[in-house]
Amino acid sequence: MAALREWTRRFWGTLRRHRADRDLEEELRLHLELAAEDARRRGESPERAARAARLHAGGVSQAMEALRDQRGLPWLDDLARDLAYGCRMLARNPGFTIVAVLSLAIGIGANTAVFSFADGLLLRPLTVPRPGEVLTVGSLSANSIRGLLLSSYRDYVDIKDRSKSFEGLVAFAESVVGFTAHPETLPRLTIGMLVTSNFFPVMGVEPALGRAFRLDEDQVPGRDAVVMLGYRFWEREFGGDRSIVGRTIRLNGIEFTVVGVAPAQFTGLDQYVRYDFYTPLMMWSRLGEDLDVRPFDARDFRRLNIRGRLKPGVTMTQAQTELSVLARDLERAYPDTNRNQNIVVRTELQARIAATPIVPPLLWMLTTLAGAVLFVACANVAGLLASRAPVRAREIAMRLAIGAGRTRVIRQLIAESLLIAVAGGVLGLGVGYAGVMLFRQIQIPTDLPIVASFELDRRALLVSLVVALVSAVLFGLAPAIRSTRTDLTAVMKATHAAGFGRRRRWGRAVLVGGQVAISVVLLVVATFVYRGFQQRLGSGPGHRTDHLLTMAFTPSPARYREAEAQQFFERLVERAREVPGVKSAALASFIPMDGLPRPVTIVPESFQFPPGTESAKLLTSMVDEHYFDTMGLSILEGRAFRATDSADAPRVAVVNEQFAMHYWPNQDVVGKRFRVNGRGGPWVEIVGLAKTSKYSFLLEPPTDFVYLPYKQRPQPTMILLAESWGDPASLVTPLREVVRGLDSSQPIHHIRTMEELYRMRVVSVLNVIVGSVAAMGMMGLGLSIVGLYGLVAYAASRRTREIAIRMAIGAGRFDVLRMVLRQGLGLAVAGLVVGLLASVGADRALTTVFSGGAGGDGRIDVTAFLLVASVVLAVTLLAAYLPARRASRVNPTEALRYE
Amino acid sequence: MPNRKHEKADVLQGTLDLMVLQTVATLGPLHGYAIAARLEQVSAGALRLNMGTLYPGLMRLEQRGLVRAKWGVTDNNRKARFYAITAAGRRELATEKAEWDRTASIIHALLREQQ
Repeated sequence: MAALREWTRRFWGTLRRHRADRDLEEELRLHLELAAEDARRRGESPERAARAARLHAGGVSQAMEALRDQRGLPWLDDLARDLAYGCRMLARNPGFTIVAVLSLAIGIGANTAVFSFADGLLLRPLTVPRPGEVLTVGSLSANSIRGLLLSSYRDYVDIKDRSKSFEGLVAFAESVVGFTAHPETLPRLTIGMLVTSNFFPVMGVEPALGRAFRLDEDQVPGRDAVVMLGYRFWEREFGGDRSIVGRTIRLNGIEFTVVGVAPAQFTGLDQYVRYDFYTPLMMWSRLGEDLDVRPFDARDFRRLNIRGRLKPGVTMTQAQTELSVLARDLERAYPDTNRNQNIVVRTELQARIAATPIVPPLLWMLTTLAGAVLFVACANVAGLLASRAPVRAREIAMRLAIGAGRTRVIRQLIAESLLIAVAGGVLGLGVGYAGVMLFRQIQIPTDLPIVASFELDRRALLVSLVVALVSAVLFGLAPAIRSTRTDLTAVMKATHAAGFGRRRRWGRAVLVGGQVAISVVLLVVATFVYRGFQQRLGSGPGHRTDHLLTMAFTPSPARYREAEAQQFFERLVERAREVPGVKSAALASFIPMDGLPRPVTIVPESFQFPPGTESAKLLTSMVDEHYFDTMGLSILEGRAFRATDSADAPRVAVVNEQFAMHYWPNQDVVGKRFRVNGRGGPWVEIVGLAKTSKYSFLLEPPTDFVYLPYKQRPQPTMILLAESWGDPASLVTPLREVVRGLDSSQPIHHIRTMEELYRMRVVSVLNVIVGSVAAMGMMGLGLSIVGLYGLVAYAASRRTREIAIRMAIGAGRFDVLRMVLRQGLGLAVAGLVVGLLASVGADRALTTVFSGGAGGDGRIDVTAFLLVASVVLAVTLLAAYLPARRASRVNPTEALRYE
Repeated sequence: MPNRKHEKADVLQGTLDLMVLQTVATLGPLHGYAIAARLEQVSAGALRLNMGTLYPGLMRLEQRGLVRAKWGVTDNNRKARFYAITAAGRRELATEKAEWDRTASIIHALLREQQ
């Protein structure tokens, strides 16, 4: 306690002189005077008394030194002094300072930007207290789509009741519904979470207003229509009106009583979706999207997300062991639904990585590239410090000679490095912000509150600070330690031109060569990615993207029964086809590149599954007979759907080439059969073979896909696709009229042209990736040019005397030029060769990031190599030529006289 | 003998706080020289406090809140800085004293036993 007080007082003593030196000295002087008085009283002469007193009590200056150390924190004092001194040094060498700070700003900014990107896509924590503790639990089998952990309600109840590892396990589903505040207004699309009653307490989220759900509100399916509003939704729709609690709103036409409002910082348990509302999970049976399944009874209806927090002291491994045992128990008890279903626990990050497998390799690539840029930047600063070393060596030797400690000198040099790094970090925020603006071009095309947000927030600031400190250590520590290890007398005696830096210059040459090599790799990667993406964009997704308009419809289950909804869709597409300007019109449950299509479980006839699997889950779209024509998808064999493929006709399907190759390689697939909905499901006959196109993302590998007639598999939401003769956007108004004619209160969502959708989902995403990779390549090249220029100029300036002598005894300008140039070019070529060799490896790595190879089919893209090699060679030649030319213009007489 | 002197300084380091606190506790507010003189007198000249030891020590006690210092005037009208013990200082003194007694008795017992 007392010690703590001492330190705080000393801390303040450093900042503001609590007691001035004069004050301290006065006290000491009094001490001496009193001591002298005592001595006089004992009969000494005044002079002898004063001397005796000084002898007795010690000198004032030593005592003052001890007092100053005790008054403040000496190291903090020193640090302040070092920083002030460092500022003066940097101000005195503006050229050095500007180049060093700008280099670091680029290096640090690139890393900050990549972090914001990674944070927005993957890393940002959940908006609940202690987010790191929240774990994901769920069923996993060999054919789970994308490794998502989803469970059925019955399994959830069993896990919750039997598992002892968790403090609490919550479950939720999400639901997209039409919302109206008043019965007479047109419903608008919103998205909400359906949660178990323990959800808010276990997550540690307190409502901002009203209350969360009671236990009894989550027990009877469909009974308790109560709702909590999301904070932003409440502000947007109700102006933050506090009297909202107790009022009713309509979701899918059902009246819900508002019981509370979620707090502002809580946006749900998803990194992208900001949920508008929360209702008890038991309302799933009335708000769910599936009209034909009973979500609380079917053990194989796996759509539920489970989250939990572990009990204190329980590890994830223990929890996993317990869950595996539980999964085997369930498998024994319910073999029909739970065979080969393991139950898995994952951290939030693991779960996110599994859900978006394309993101982590992309982020790794960007992080590696940004790290390379930072390394090049640090090499620049280290090189600059090295060229100043001979000048500073004298200053440092002087300090050491008059008694400064080595650590003291090192600390001072580190303070200077820190100043450069922090200045670079602050400027780097500008570079980072430019990156964030680039990444913000990525937008998710949706009417729902789903956003990928890239921010330069507190976390990003912290990261750039850490990167700045790391870089300060990278470029500053080694030179600082080395420069204090000099032989004092040699340095003091030496003139500027003394050649005591042979090893040091070698080190610098390696640094610069490495810089060139790294920037070559960066540029080759950028060229690969650019050319690869251009090629992919050129070959397109395999279906039409022009002259198409999309509109989505979800007839409210409150007003439409399933058959009526089907009728609505049929009349809608018929009427749409009659609209002038419409070339053709079709219906589909899913549009390519727009989210995740519905999965379907199938069992192909006479296909031998590997052990442990009995069925395949694959992506599907329910479409009508005009879909393939309208989308420009060619049917290679057999036929497309016909109007006669209705609910009571035999079940049929169209599959893509990839599917055919997977299950019936080298066979005629038309006429083959598979079971749908698992092993007990009905047989479906394949009537057509469609070209494989892209379904989720342009860079995806070829994917199995099945089309089913929508009349044989009704869906609650269907999308109208209209092909136009002219501008597709001009169809919006007439098609709205058509819908109003059919049902004036029918909401339309997702009104977009296919071109816009494709641009947002594909083109701009690829452009942002190419842009960021290219920017890092250019940064790397720019930085290494500065490094090479600096080294050649420095080497030439150190050899001024030698050059002058050579010229005096007859060497021509051209000889000098060649001599200086040779050194720079040697480095550049060595760097280029190493870089090109490393690029071959980088291409391999890229192939794993973008399946199929960003450079196209994994072949080595010779054009890219040639392009990069010639650019790098030309630019480095220029960087070496400029200082070489200056060196060759040395006037021998002047240069020698100067020495 | 420089060696002996060195030993004395070491002993001083650990016990200076205790001695100073005890002095100002028994004699009331004192200035630095008076404290040094008192300690020298009590030790019959064995303890000669250097200013470079005494004043940083006093400053440390002040920073720890164990003594409070105030400029005042001496008997013969000189301006001096007077150090007085605080409540926290008295508590500290009590615990330090007890600790010292305990240590001393242990050492004492040990040394007697070994003879």
